[in-house]
Amino acid sequence: MPVRVAENSVPSQVSGTNSEHTSPPACTLLSVGQAFSGTQNVSSLQKEEAWRVNVRIQGCDLEHGYLCGTMEALNVPMADTPVVTFWEGEIVDTKNYTFNTGKWEATPDDDKRHWMKFQCFEPLLSQVEVDGGKSLNLSNYPYIFMRWKEQYFVNVGTDCGLTIAGFYYVCFSCSDGSINGYYYDPNSSPFQKLELKSTNEGRSGFSFSSYELQ
Amino acid sequence: MNKLVMNFLVTEGYVEAAEKFRMESGTEHRMAVKKAVQCGNVEDAIEKVNDLNPEILDTNPQLFFHLQQQRLIELIRNGKVEEALEFAQEELAPRGEENQSFLEELERTVALLAFEDVTNCPVGELMDISQRLKTASEVNAAILTSQSHEKDPKLPSLLKMLIWAQNQLDEKASYPRINDLSSATLDDPTV
Amino acid sequence: MREHIQACKVHSHPGVVFFHFELLSRLASSEPEVKLRALREVKNQIIGNRTKKLSFLKLGAVPAVAGILADSADGVIDKNNCNNNINNILVQSAAALGSFACGFDAGVQAVLDAGAFPNLLRLLANSNEKVVDAGARALRMIYQSKLAPKYDLLQQKNMDFLISVLNSENENVSGLGASIITHSCQTSLEQKALLDAGILEKLVSLLEGGSLSQRDASLESLATIFRNNSEVVSKFVGPEIGRSLSSVIDLAKDRHPRTRLLACMCLIVIRNTSPQLLQNIGIKTKLIHILLELLDDPGQVGDEAPFALSSLIAQKEDLQKLALEANAIDKLQYHLQRGLLHPRRHEGILLALADMCSKLESCRSKFLSLQALNLVADALTNDSADIRTAACTCLKSITRSIKNLSAGYFMNEMIVIPLVQLFLDPSTSVQVAALGALSNIVVDFTTRKSIFVQCGGIRQLVQLARSMEPAVRSNALWALKNFVFLADNRLKEGVFSELTASLLSSLICDPEPSVQEQALALVRNLVDGCMNSVEFVFADDGLILGAVGRQLQRASKPEIGIQGMYALCNVASGNEFHKEAVMHQLFPQMVDKNQSFMIKFLQSNESQLRTAAVWTIVNLTCPSSPGAYGRLVKLRNAGIISQIKKLENDPCVDVKLRAKTVQGHSEAFGVQPLLEHQTS
Repeated sequence: MPVRVAENSVPSQVSGTNSEHTSPPACTLLSVGQAFSGTQNVSSLQKEEAWRVNVRIQGCDLEHGYLCGTMEALNVPMADTPVVTFWEGEIVDTKNYTFNTGKWEATPDDDKRHWMKFQCFEPLLSQVEVDGGKSLNLSNYPYIFMRWKEQYFVNVGTDCGLTIAGFYYVCFSCSDGSINGYYYDPNSSPFQKLELKSTNEGRSGFSFSSYELQ
Repeated sequence: MNKLVMNFLVTEGYVEAAEKFRMESGTEHRMAVKKAVQCGNVEDAIEKVNDLNPEILDTNPQLFFHLQQQRLIELIRNGKVEEALEFAQEELAPRGEENQSFLEELERTVALLAFEDVTNCPVGELMDISQRLKTASEVNAAILTSQSHEKDPKLPSLLKMLIWAQNQLDEKASYPRINDLSSATLDDPTV
Repeated sequence: MREHIQACKVHSHPGVVFFHFELLSRLASSEPEVKLRALREVKNQIIGNRTKKLSFLKLGAVPAVAGILADSADGVIDKNNCNNNINNILVQSAAALGSFACGFDAGVQAVLDAGAFPNLLRLLANSNEKVVDAGARALRMIYQSKLAPKYDLLQQKNMDFLISVLNSENENVSGLGASIITHSCQTSLEQKALLDAGILEKLVSLLEGGSLSQRDASLESLATIFRNNSEVVSKFVGPEIGRSLSSVIDLAKDRHPRTRLLACMCLIVIRNTSPQLLQNIGIKTKLIHILLELLDDPGQVGDEAPFALSSLIAQKEDLQKLALEANAIDKLQYHLQRGLLHPRRHEGILLALADMCSKLESCRSKFLSLQALNLVADALTNDSADIRTAACTCLKSITRSIKNLSAGYFMNEMIVIPLVQLFLDPSTSVQVAALGALSNIVVDFTTRKSIFVQCGGIRQLVQLARSMEPAVRSNALWALKNFVFLADNRLKEGVFSELTASLLSSLICDPEPSVQEQALALVRNLVDGCMNSVEFVFADDGLILGAVGRQLQRASKPEIGIQGMYALCNVASGNEFHKEAVMHQLFPQMVDKNQSFMIKFLQSNESQLRTAAVWTIVNLTCPSSPGAYGRLVKLRNAGIISQIKKLENDPCVDVKLRAKTVQGHSEAFGVQPLLEHQTS
């Protein structure tokens, strides 16, 4: 069990409205090729279900606040194979995206309720309530907030009985590479929790691949 | 200045005055070229254009092709089948190689040779007098462009510019001013 | 019918050649009348007719005409002959030479070789206006070719001549002056010299009061003088010249397409040189619309319009967005699918699409939704090398779509097979561009990489990694690097057995830094993934690992350090043996007096390099591995642990967090960093 480094400093605010916004840190644990594994709790009234989930980062474009990858759900009921989806992420960098979702049927209230689930969001709340967080400088904050939206099924048809209508509110911890998220879909059970940890395929340490597009 | 005056006369519709003025300037060449094409003397027209300005046909492949095509049509019209075929091979086929759309037009034109009654064949419109007029007006437009005749006459805008410039100067200096635009004499500044 | 015409395209039959020959002999006639008629005939034969230019050229017509020009200019011809005839001969010979030089480089070369250039210049001083016209026109044709002699603008007497030419009442002569500038002005020094000589004011006056051809020539020269020279641009838009910028803007709406194009190009140069100018969204949109409209022009203007569009939008997201809204992609695609394109236009459209799709995913999905991909794939096999390069460049932009890469959309026979065939293209620029596009396509997260393997792609890439051209070597390695990214071990083994340890280690030590960088990045990806893959660097007695260590010791740029360091970091995430081997690279016996490259990297200004270095130490000291304590002590003794302690306040969050992790490892073993004076 990795130890979470306590980081209590409140991020500085950017003064003035015309100042250059900076991107969040290019965290190596969130770079292309990195893998994560964990669970998604599908809480329902009858029973507690948990799917095993693997995530792989496939693309990252910090300039545009963009991240993408695949999500593999194992032991999904009624599916004979693992179900793989491709998702695209918006990084809340206050330049390309703010804490306000403004789409996918998420109201400001939904946003607040979900972001508040992350402890590390609390210090930001007051400013977010003022301007949606536009004036926050998150570039030195050791957490990265994102929204992940699944775009298509990679290995099964749309008739697999599963839906990708919703999206995830996601919080990534730069220090240990852990990911927490909540699935939001007005038509699904609320607050399905995603919990992932950085994995390294049996190695004793961390390894990093990379590709570059021309 | 010649151009300015002519330009004004032509664009403002002073036809008679323009006619008179034209005789003294280069416009009659253009008319001669146009007329030559209209009468079917395409070779003569080409030579005249080249005398006027060799760049026109050297830099305008489409116009050059259309003139050559017209030449071919005239040969066919005059029943010179041999000559027409040779001309198509020697002069026009290489243009078709340079440009695919020329090749298509050439194919259409050569098709005229395949019919007994050219005026009533599917490509008969090429034999029509309107084809000559079309080519003539294309040449005419190209010559006009090379002589840069404008849509807006330049004389009024130059006069406007003069008035504007004088108004600006009035505030700053005394200078020989043009008070009477029709005579354009410089009046000495009143001290 | 098409077959018939094609069959006709045999070369001129003997009769025609004979006729040409006979015509040439008449040129040599001593009768001025005969000579004049022959000259005129040659001129009328070749104008507009490339084939005839070539055939007369081969028969030696150019030196013959040039000789007549020289003789007449010297007045050698029969002194009793009337002036009128001499002038006519001068006009006709100059016109013929001008036509040989028009849009035909072989002709320009022949005219220059025949020594006609100085004689044409002499015509400018002739008292007869028609002779001056003909001379100026011929010279302008020559100056439109890149073969024309460069005019030295830095010599005062040349500048004086240029000014007198520009001041000429004759529009062909002043147009010639502008052409000389367009051809000859290349350096900022020359641009400055023209500015100081007051040429800018002269060109502006031609722009505002000149004829059509003078305006066009002036626009072209202005763009040449502005290019990348903000000083000249600021003078142009400054208060002294004032209204001229708006004159150019007005000309972008002129009724002559060529003038519109040249005005747009001039404005684009101004904008690209001084980005703070022409920021008005209205002008930006207008430019895009005008250029898209000019695409419809069937001639040269339409051929050049896409190139202008390219230079307007290249690297500029805001303009690409505006162009997308103006339906630029639909229009470009429309022209592309019409076929029968002039090669220049074909190239330009592909390049404009490449620029459109270079940054924005919205543009790429628009492009893909129009089913235009097969049109680009077709162009990969075009006869023209420029078009093949442009098609690869376009493909490179489109394949930047990670969403579609992830879906394996581009890994198919229609694209991959022709691309791999281009690896053997005779043109290096095609090879490099094809490798660039392929580099993107092989970043494929599905299992379809096999298509590339099956068509022999790996073997070809390895061949190209041995190329004499550094750019080809580097791009081949780039493609291999992307190919092995997250690939399974079987595919990696396939690559490695083709590549061999000895070739890879020699590429790591390549003389070219960019090749070193790509080779190291390839090693980095090879040893990632399953634990077995670490063994690649230990093949042939650790040939590759040794090469990585040596290259890091002398790394000439941070990028090389970053890739090499991650390669070591990945090896250090392996077992005890692997970790010790990395330690050995950090402290090779022979160089112990030298500072370890590790200290240098930890102190680097490049945060990515510091990050990679600290990660390596994290892996070497991770407490679960048995040898961690020994390694920690060794690292401490080398001053590395205390160096890392300093990074706990690093401005880069990533570095800071990893430095804390190392500190945590030291504390777990009770290893304290040494104080400064304790390090050896």
